[in-house]
Amino acid sequence: MSPKTKAKVAFFDFTSCEGCQIELTNLGEKAFMGLLDHIEIVEFREAMSEKAQGRIDISFIEGSFSREADRKRLEDIRSRSNVVIAFGACAATGGVTALKNHMSDYSEAVYGKDAKMPHLDSSFALPVSAAIKVDYSVLGCPMSQAEFVEIVSSLLHGKEPVIPNHPVCVECKKKSTLCRYGQGDHCLGMVARAGCGAPCPADGIPCEACRGFVDHPNQEALVKVLREKGGLSEERAFNKSRIFTANLRSDAVKGAGARKE
Amino acid sequence: MPAHFIHETDFREFLKSLIASKPVIGPVVEPKSTGDKFIFDDVTSAEQLRLDYDVSLVPPKAVFFPPVQKLLEFGPNGVKSCINPREQVLLGVHFYDVKAFDQLDKLFNDKFPDNNYLANRRATTVIASSVQTVSKHAFWGSFGKDVKAKGHDGFLTKVQGGYVYETFSQKGEALLKHGKFGNASTDQVSAAKRENDAAMDKCQEKVTFTPAEISTKTRASFSNNEMWKELSKDCFSCGSCNIVCPTCYCFDVQDKWGLDQVSGERYRTWDACLTEDFAKVSLGGAGGHENFREAGAQRFRHRAMRKLTYLNEKLGGPACIGCGRCTSACVPNIANPVKIINRIMKG
Repeated sequence: MSPKTKAKVAFFDFTSCEGCQIELTNLGEKAFMGLLDHIEIVEFREAMSEKAQGRIDISFIEGSFSREADRKRLEDIRSRSNVVIAFGACAATGGVTALKNHMSDYSEAVYGKDAKMPHLDSSFALPVSAAIKVDYSVLGCPMSQAEFVEIVSSLLHGKEPVIPNHPVCVECKKKSTLCRYGQGDHCLGMVARAGCGAPCPADGIPCEACRGFVDHPNQEALVKVLREKGGLSEERAFNKSRIFTANLRSDAVKGAGARKE
Repeated sequence: MPAHFIHETDFREFLKSLIASKPVIGPVVEPKSTGDKFIFDDVTSAEQLRLDYDVSLVPPKAVFFPPVQKLLEFGPNGVKSCINPREQVLLGVHFYDVKAFDQLDKLFNDKFPDNNYLANRRATTVIASSVQTVSKHAFWGSFGKDVKAKGHDGFLTKVQGGYVYETFSQKGEALLKHGKFGNASTDQVSAAKRENDAAMDKCQEKVTFTPAEISTKTRASFSNNEMWKELSKDCFSCGSCNIVCPTCYCFDVQDKWGLDQVSGERYRTWDACLTEDFAKVSLGGAGGHENFREAGAQRFRHRAMRKLTYLNEKLGGPACIGCGRCTSACVPNIANPVKIINRIMKG
């Protein structure tokens, strides 16, 4: 991308709470306006009513792919975009929306008599990459502001963004954060992908792995440690990591992985 | 080496004067702990300093080699170095951590002097202090006990009625003016020696083999794949054992662009050879990469090799000083070097 012309950037949303787009507006005036010297936002429904026309340089997609009917819209975005970025946990991994994947009674529990409304008819919640090719992911729930800036900056400079493949433990230890396991608690930090700066354990809250797993999490050891050291029941230790990584676990539903080229 | 003595009652005044003269870093309670965990931090009052600490969470190497260190700033007008050391006193370092400093001094001065480390090191007066509380997982009383601590400027030993202060450099001598120090008597000097010798027997964990025996056997165990698999079965490759290690010195260098996209900074941050991407290298312009320690067991083995044998010759002893921080930091309880050594020696 030439530094002379601004990169056209658009935001789209699928199955999500749209919190990641809100989080972008939390980037702060200085940071946001600084970036606007280099990018032109052509579609972003949380902050403007215009819709993108024609080619887009970078498309950020929020939310998971949970309805077959959404495939066409995703394919259309892909065909118009030079770069597609999964924006936040739901788009990148399915995030919390993938919690439904191992359950069947949620519609009635949540919507009661309206459970059969047609727009609620959805399938497994899958990462956007299950439908279209995704070039990069901004991870986290909500998405990490620092990673958003890192990816946009890297693309503007034609550089590969650096996304850590080490766990949250590294970030806690560097900060002398007290380990949750030493405090009679449990934590998913050993298998959770870092990059957030480990703010939760620093505040005394266990890591829930909202940025997903590292590439090769030791899932057997996780269940063992949650049970033996974290004091969780067998069932809870087994289910614990589902909250954000249902599609990354060894028991993920079929099709949860990236789309085959 | 000259030995001095300061009475308990004068010690607080000494600290007050020292703190007023320049920044002092020392062991203090980690504020979120129940008073049982310690960190090295700026000491703002004499009361804060806890010379009775057992061990710090992160080793005091962080004073010279911070977890994240800005190396340079770049922009349209060129590149600017970020070396900007602070004249300071690091007080209360236990002898085993001084041994680690000595190793880092050698490694960061090997072939290519690392001025980002050395400038901070030189600007700091290091005052060691006797171990008053032995941490639960320490094994420095046995492993590598013949390797002496060196590279510090002074050593404070708590004895009956006060502190014996031995000085090893002019930087160490310079502190004398802050307190009512007198010459230590022969009795006080031998009391200090007894105190420090006695601490060596207080570690709960012990290694019964010599570093040389361990080194030879560890190297010979390189191909014992079953053993490394067994030892690393519950390993998360989380790198905690590396990050809390006082002798680990690997770092990763990255550039970060500023929001203006024309300036930015280059920084380095502690790296960990247990983590999956540590040994991942680019295959060049055509793309692709190679990871020469792809399996967790290989990385687990690599740490044992580094700490117990590879560096022994260069450092004059094992690259493990027996602090037990890795044992405390390891969630699945598999990083304890004493256990690993015993398993290796069993064959």
